[in-house]
Amino acid sequence: MHEHIKERIKTVIANLNALPSMPEVVTRIINMVNDPNVDFKLVAEEISRDQAITTNILKIANSAYFSKGKEIASVEKALVTLGMKEVKDIVVVAATKQVLDKPVIGYDLAKGELWKHNVAVAMLAKKIAIDKKKKNLADLVFTGGIIHDVGKTVLAIYVASTFKDLIQSTVDNQITFAQAEQLLLGFDHQEIGQIILKKWQFPESLQNIVRYHHDADDAPQSDIEAVAIVHVANTICQMAGIGIGGDGLYYELSGKAIEATGLDDSELQHYYGITPELLKMARQIM
Amino acid sequence: MSIELVNVGVAQLKIASSPVILRTILGSCVGICIYDRNKKMGGLAHVLLSKATNDSQPEKFAETAIPALIEQLLRQGCKRDFMTAKIAGGASMFKFASQTPLGLIGENNISMTKKILEEKKIPIVGEDTGGSVGRVIDFFLEDGRLKVKAGGHEEYYYKV
Ligand SMILES: [Fe+2]
Ligand SMILES: [Fe+2]
Repeated sequence: MHEHIKERIKTVIANLNALPSMPEVVTRIINMVNDPNVDFKLVAEEISRDQAITTNILKIANSAYFSKGKEIASVEKALVTLGMKEVKDIVVVAATKQVLDKPVIGYDLAKGELWKHNVAVAMLAKKIAIDKKKKNLADLVFTGGIIHDVGKTVLAIYVASTFKDLIQSTVDNQITFAQAEQLLLGFDHQEIGQIILKKWQFPESLQNIVRYHHDADDAPQSDIEAVAIVHVANTICQMAGIGIGGDGLYYELSGKAIEATGLDDSELQHYYGITPELLKMARQIM
Repeated sequence: MSIELVNVGVAQLKIASSPVILRTILGSCVGICIYDRNKKMGGLAHVLLSKATNDSQPEKFAETAIPALIEQLLRQGCKRDFMTAKIAGGASMFKFASQTPLGLIGENNISMTKKILEEKKIPIVGEDTGGSVGRVIDFFLEDGRLKVKAGGHEEYYYKV
């Protein structure tokens, strides 16, 4: 069934030009974060060369969420006041907005819904990391949250033409929507997302977050904590209806992932309960 | 003439009159739509959880939001005798470990909603709850009908 669609998807992902693109400077900045010998001045120069991105970066950097009240007039100032990791997060927000802030037909998401969802997941994931004393993961799970559903933008048109069968398959086979995508289309939105991140040459830990955000139990040991945090943040946002689409809640909440985050029941409920405040925060940078 | 469409966010409560349409998007949350068929006026409460923990925002919880909604409608001159309710939402994750209370939030929201409406003697005349679907609901104050869009198809609830 749907063999012709499987073939078409294979052709699309084999053709890098058919996948969303990412300015090279963004890739370079993401990879710089893990380099202890980075020269801030060089990074600032690198970013400033792209005028469009710079304007957006400064706008986002001056949101209350990132600026914490300080005025940030230049990329250099942002690097000095906020640090390399925060600036990297800001660059990712600025650069991925154009990929994600659009209607996603097959998943029944109006314009802005997927973007809102990903921003909310990023912010919640970062909050969980900080609250659980895993500050070293804060920027990674934020970036991972921002892009975790990027695969949906490419898979959407194929989901649109097979939607009824996908839902039927989840119910008949008692599988998740992502597993139904795999079964009927040959790929799920996590795998497509990973392929997009490979094209962008984003680091492997980010690829793993995207690839396993619904399959946290299968994540490689090295990234299990980061994947688990994004998995839980994503589930909470879906349950709160933030950017919930036609695929609804046809996913699995992993007990193993909850364990890996170290969150107890009352903490989980607390995060779900603060989603309205989370949304207000998300609007600041959307 | 175009009819005004008002979005009701998570943990918000809004009331309006005919011909306004109140819209909200629901996951595990429950949307409670109360309509006064005589005054053609109604309101929608979008609740996240069944009852308050140590949070002070009454709109978040079924236990406090529903009485607040009824109160607001009464203050606008609606009569309890003409009020009916329709409820939607309360979905759950398709799969979750049975020991996870997070998985039960949807069900708890539905049962608390029903309990409070019964206490307040507002009959439920339409219900589209449970399962694992996300729902976009439109509450038409023109005649109190409710449109529920879920998993790619639409359902109407006309009874008031
Ligand atoms: Fe996803
Ligand atoms: Fe998601």
